[in-house]
Amino acid sequence: MSSASTVRLVMLREVRQRLHSLGFFIFTGLLCFGIITIGIVKRTLGEDGPARYHMAVIGAAPAGFADAVREVAQSLGIEIRVDSVGSRSAAEQQLRSGELDIVIDPTAGRLISRSKPPDQLAASANTAWRLSKATAAARSAALDDQQISSILSPAPLVPDFLQPGRNSTGNVATIVGTAAAVMLFVAISAFGGMVLTGVVEEKSTGVVEVLLSHVRAHQLLAGKVFGIGVVAMTQFGAALLSGLIALRISGITVPGAVWIGLPTTILWFIVGFVLYSTLFALAGSFVSRQEDAQGAAAPISMVFTAAYITVFALGKSPYATTTRIVSMLPPFAPLLMPLRIATGAASVFEIGLSAVLLLAATYAMLRLAGAVYGRTLLHRGARLSWREALRMTSS
Amino acid sequence: MLEVFDIRKKFGEVAALNGVSLRVGRGELVGFLGPNGAGKSTTMRAIMGLIAIDSGSITWDRAPITARVRRGFGYMPAERGMYPKMTVRDQLVYFARLAGLSPSAAKKAAESWMERVDVHHRADDEVQALSSGNQQRVQLAIALVHEPELLILDEPFSGLDPVAVENMKSILLGQVERGTSVLFSSHQLDLVSDITRNVVIVDSGHVVLEGDVREIRERAAFRYASIGFVEDCRWVPDMLDVELIDRSPRAVRLRVPAATEPAAVLADATRAGRVVEFSFAPPDLSEVFLASVGRDASNESEEVRA
Repeated sequence: MSSASTVRLVMLREVRQRLHSLGFFIFTGLLCFGIITIGIVKRTLGEDGPARYHMAVIGAAPAGFADAVREVAQSLGIEIRVDSVGSRSAAEQQLRSGELDIVIDPTAGRLISRSKPPDQLAASANTAWRLSKATAAARSAALDDQQISSILSPAPLVPDFLQPGRNSTGNVATIVGTAAAVMLFVAISAFGGMVLTGVVEEKSTGVVEVLLSHVRAHQLLAGKVFGIGVVAMTQFGAALLSGLIALRISGITVPGAVWIGLPTTILWFIVGFVLYSTLFALAGSFVSRQEDAQGAAAPISMVFTAAYITVFALGKSPYATTTRIVSMLPPFAPLLMPLRIATGAASVFEIGLSAVLLLAATYAMLRLAGAVYGRTLLHRGARLSWREALRMTSS
Repeated sequence: MLEVFDIRKKFGEVAALNGVSLRVGRGELVGFLGPNGAGKSTTMRAIMGLIAIDSGSITWDRAPITARVRRGFGYMPAERGMYPKMTVRDQLVYFARLAGLSPSAAKKAAESWMERVDVHHRADDEVQALSSGNQQRVQLAIALVHEPELLILDEPFSGLDPVAVENMKSILLGQVERGTSVLFSSHQLDLVSDITRNVVIVDSGHVVLEGDVREIRERAAFRYASIGFVEDCRWVPDMLDVELIDRSPRAVRLRVPAATEPAAVLADATRAGRVVEFSFAPPDLSEVFLASVGRDASNESEEVRA
């Protein structure tokens, strides 16, 4: 039997064992449900899209007023529907019932509302009022349309950013990037932990001795990491899909960089998972009892948690030099780099370099694990230290 | 044929193996005996490639044992090794597949072995739900599911009830009949006498006795004589070098030199009273063992027999 088919056998066993547990499905279901619910809540709370208002003019509106209102409102990021109403008393009644948000009385020159109107609504009404009044005045002064337009609607200022592209994706990208980092952290912790307990289970039950009479240690390691990786990808993929569905339901517009960031997030997740779970597997091979597992894995968990903290410490300033450097370091890259990619802060060179470093570190880790695992796995008794384990390679 | 030649292994400063040699021919059943900590498990783990030896050689059919060759061996470790949450059937199929069987062959072998070790009614139960005796049957089936050429069984009889011992025995003898080589260990020296006559006894990392159980016992320098009388009797044997081991009103147990004639002992006893029971036999394997390593039977036989 070839090495690949041995690894596949080990892998399939891992997948079957995890998928056999009802808990996995319940947890994945709840996770997806939770994520989609956030999208639904966002939509029903109406935090999405521009605010909508209803305006009425008593009697006939001045020429061009309604168009001016709509135009100004749009530039302020709101929507205003303009109607007319017969009398002041009718207008007041509709204001009280909430049918109308604001009423303009052009004859009396009044802006009527229940209480102080939102700033953008009042500003739209006032600016449109001034524009329509000024247009009327200009016409009576016998200016032609072109003159009126050049006086009242001069060409707008052309934006000139010193650092084009920065912050162009804004808040949504940071939120999506941070969410991705949180998901990566949770997924790698959970499934890395699964690898750890899986290895210790095989040692503590003694099944590893029977396994190693048929299988090489590195095949066992590869099968376990890849098998649990497949399960992890399934859950991570389901969560990611739910996230996309939630974004769609909520109606939030997603910047382009986020879409570019999606495949890279998946790639960083895979490599990051392989790196960390290989470390967790190694730590598991140092101990013989489940009670000692967390202790052996503590140094890895510490580094990983530190990486997680940097997401919040440095994620707000994705362009800072510290953030740039830290996001290149292999232990930090799986969490920090997807965030920087999502915000559009990472250059192609940085992405490439980070990927090369991460892949190189993962490869080195797999080689090291392959050299040590066979010996540490059969070690019995007290917990091995990392130093003792490394010494086993040279012996 | 399995040949282990002069293997040595040190764990730190402790020498676990001090030059162990043994051979198991095709279709041979060899009992590997010795007290706890004598080096039995270490030798077996070395054969299975689970520890690297410092020196010496282990060969199968005169060639070094590669991973490929080892896949054709069956192994049952002393500390049982199974996935607690996997069903009996899945477990057997999995190990059969790892040993190189095709999916359909693995399935067939698993069904057949569940039948043979009598756990087929628990096929879909998780192993952790089984009694320890049944778990041991499954463990044996795992070692046998791929019809190995060589079986290495570390303490296969420990913790088994008499019925299970008989079942285990008949399975092993069946394997031997079809040409499998079997090496099994036990710290219960006397239990193996009716399973095999071929034993290797180790102590402190080296072989102290080996060969045919009966011959080993025959070589002992003394014999036990037990005499039962019809009525109470105070018989004092009129012979040289006789040691009184045990006495009750109607029975006497003696230790006599190996050269003593049984008929002479019986004749002497008959002069004291009417004899209804008489036996004259070499010592048990455990006593021969203790005598050979220079320890006192009365102090240590408990440990060895335990």
